[in-house]
Amino acid sequence: MDNEITLSFIAKSENEALARMVMSSFIAAIDPTIEELSEFKTVISEAVTNAIVHGYEEDGIGKIEIHARREDREIVVSIVDYGRGIRDVNQAREPLFTTKPDEERSGMGFTIMESFSDDVEIYSIPNRGTTVTITKRFVPIQETSRIV
Amino acid sequence: MHHEVEKVGDEIIIIRLKGELDHHSTQEIRDEIVPMIKNGTIKVLVWNLKDLNFMDSSGIGLILGRMRELAPIDGQTIIVNPSETMRKIFQFAGLSPYICSDSEIDIMSKLGGIVYGQ
Repeated sequence: MDNEITLSFIAKSENEALARMVMSSFIAAIDPTIEELSEFKTVISEAVTNAIVHGYEEDGIGKIEIHARREDREIVVSIVDYGRGIRDVNQAREPLFTTKPDEERSGMGFTIMESFSDDVEIYSIPNRGTTVTITKRFVPIQETSRIV
Repeated sequence: MHHEVEKVGDEIIIIRLKGELDHHSTQEIRDEIVPMIKNGTIKVLVWNLKDLNFMDSSGIGLILGRMRELAPIDGQTIIVNPSETMRKIFQFAGLSPYICSDSEIDIMSKLGGIVYGQ
């Protein structure tokens, strides 16, 4: 029942869709609700976009890794980059805070990640990189009532 | 990401987003809409999300950015048919008041009255 994968790709924006697709497939086995799946995809998209845009400035060179683990109905995903890092993690978590307002980044990334998952941990060292670890627990599948 | 941009008269643009809207796909759609707004006659942007399967916070940036451009002329933003998850995302960003539960056709007939003073 349990599973584990690692995905690695370069900092190009077209890989945002790829990451969502792979992670959607990864959780397909636990049969999430439509709502759970779309929230999970949003969380992955936010974290991966952050790594591409803020970690590497979309340089197309930097490597991003996603480590995902499934234990029963709990998914733990780490999004790892080796880019510029976050100087003030608490400030980055604040709603509407962004270092790139001119690029129309809304500053809602971490707010969405926190709202759509059960836990978000950020570990970052300036000029060394950032690891964002997200935990999401999926509700048990409802037993379908039997027709007697 | 495919989308349709329809200009109705001089004052209304309907943007029908399709597929997935993320940081990658927003760049392309922004390039298309911004010049249309900058031309100066546009007063209303209708974002129809009926065929949009996915949107992350890039959608917020895209819509807020256009709202800012419309602000000097008191322009209007209308969002229709968001999914449940999109609804939550709009709520986090304070955009809930711009969501309209009418259909695109109903909105257009109401707008006809407002924009053209009928």
